[in-house]
Amino acid sequence: MSDSPTARRVSRRGLLTGGALAAGGALAGGVAVADPPWVRTASPVPVAEVGTAVEPFHGPRQAGVATEPQAHAAFVAFTLRPGTDRAALGRMLRLLSDDAARLTQGRPALADTEPELGLLPARLTVTFGFGPGFYTAAGLHAQRPPSVVDLPAFRIDRLQRRWSGGDLLLQICADDPLTVAHTQRVLVKDSRPFATVAWVQQGFRRAAGAEPGRTQRNLFGQIDGTANPRPGAALDAAVWVPDGPVWLRDGTTLVVRRISMNLETWDLLGRTDRELAVGRRLDTGAPLTGEDEHDEPDFAATGPDGLAVMPDFSHVTRSHVSDDRLKILRRPYNYDGAPNPDGHADSGLIFASYQADITRQFLPIQQRLAERDLLNEWTTPIGSAVFAIPPGCAEGGWIGQQLLD
Amino acid sequence: MSTRIRRLASSALVAALAAMTVLLAPASPAAAHNTLRAATPAPEARLSAPPAHIILEFAQRLDPAFTTIVLSDASKRKVRTSEPTVTGATGTVTVDEPLAAGSYTVAYRIVSADGHPVQGSYSFTVDEPAAGAAPAASGVAAPDAPASGVATSGGAAPDAPASPAASSSRSEGRGPWPLAVGGLVVLAAAAGVLLSRRRRRGTTA
Repeated sequence: MSDSPTARRVSRRGLLTGGALAAGGALAGGVAVADPPWVRTASPVPVAEVGTAVEPFHGPRQAGVATEPQAHAAFVAFTLRPGTDRAALGRMLRLLSDDAARLTQGRPALADTEPELGLLPARLTVTFGFGPGFYTAAGLHAQRPPSVVDLPAFRIDRLQRRWSGGDLLLQICADDPLTVAHTQRVLVKDSRPFATVAWVQQGFRRAAGAEPGRTQRNLFGQIDGTANPRPGAALDAAVWVPDGPVWLRDGTTLVVRRISMNLETWDLLGRTDRELAVGRRLDTGAPLTGEDEHDEPDFAATGPDGLAVMPDFSHVTRSHVSDDRLKILRRPYNYDGAPNPDGHADSGLIFASYQADITRQFLPIQQRLAERDLLNEWTTPIGSAVFAIPPGCAEGGWIGQQLLD
Repeated sequence: MSTRIRRLASSALVAALAAMTVLLAPASPAAAHNTLRAATPAPEARLSAPPAHIILEFAQRLDPAFTTIVLSDASKRKVRTSEPTVTGATGTVTVDEPLAAGSYTVAYRIVSADGHPVQGSYSFTVDEPAAGAAPAASGVAAPDAPASGVATSGGAAPDAPASPAASSSRSEGRGPWPLAVGGLVVLAAAAGVLLSRRRRRGTTA
């Protein structure tokens, strides 16, 4: 109302300047800015439909894993209350599954106190994970997938209890942050008789449609997730358990690591050094030996002085896996807390990795990274949790039914 | 309209880049990072017999996990060497194959204590062997020779290792000063643009 056209123009100019200043951080070192290759015009979901877009809830596999990552996420971990046994777990999961199914389809939860907030799912998915303690509480030790145990300690870890462990996880993702908040509120209320909240990690990516088809960027400005197995056969081989009993088949496992990223010391690093540490160009995400983001890195290539073009300490060199069955599906979200009084950032990555078997796929990569990834200089794991992701359920069923019924 | 916005955005971008350049430049003084202090064989050395070791002495401690030393010949073929042995600030590799006469390049890639990668290279030449010279890699120096012991025999390698050649550099490839000076020039220009715009706005408001 009070916005005169002049005032609006001024504020828009202020926004532009602010944006350009922020961009300056990513562009430090002087790259060409004429035609940023990441500028696209087409959007897969027209903006007008972002709010009403729906992801299926029911099916043999849970949504939120192979689903194209939504813009916002809340990872909510619970500690089961002492009395929560197998029967109580069944009651809790019936309740949670029912409300999750409703909300993902754009219907308010059963006892929704703010039903209007349940009408725009914005591709909402709710993915259930069972931590090691879940199987203990259910008295089902033998059914715990063997790789779902606390990860071994790594030299680089500075784990905090407030971001670690958990008996039950709800990964809530949507393209709208209000939808995520409302869903989190509903499902936390559902769980209160059975569990307490252990930790919540909220994260984000670019807004829906802002960068369609583009691998996400983390707050270091790096393209993050290029090496993921491609959707289809490669992803299926890496992620889903192909056989075994019904409570295991079509399930997967999830590792959630909270990785603090030190933007203050990263700021001191020149662009070339940043690219050496990662093994990729910051603008295109191409490996240092390639032109395009998805070019295979050539670890044998040497420069004129005989040094490997891909340093053996680079993140890509250390984490590279060729065999699809040994890859992991990274589905991370950025977090950005309030800066401290000195203006130092509290930023990082909610690293979320899906794989059929943590021991076979995730651990060897993590061990190589912990050993000699130069990025460790600027990143610190401060939280760690592991979960089994049980199979999905049919309409009328509930998540965990194959295990608990 | 849109060109005006673009012009505004680009001038703001120039200012931002200039500011970042000025901010970044003082943050990377060579003194804060590790540098090659001395090398055996020395840069540009002409040796009458092939070296048995390459010994690189740096200003600060080396991390063995992040120390690479590569020797290659004039045709860019990698010469077989041992993995680097690190003692304090010194990295050593043993040359594991006979070196024919010719020009060789030593390249290194290390990481400073603050995580900054440092890399560089230099060349030396092995002359045609004089009659009766010892064959290559026959232990001209004791294999466990300490870094201070000059492992090369004869030739131009002096006892006190020479300072590194000009080709060794930080991986940024550019010193901070051209950046800083360039940044200041751009910043001054951007400030001029902004000031003139403000003045213009001031008169019309």
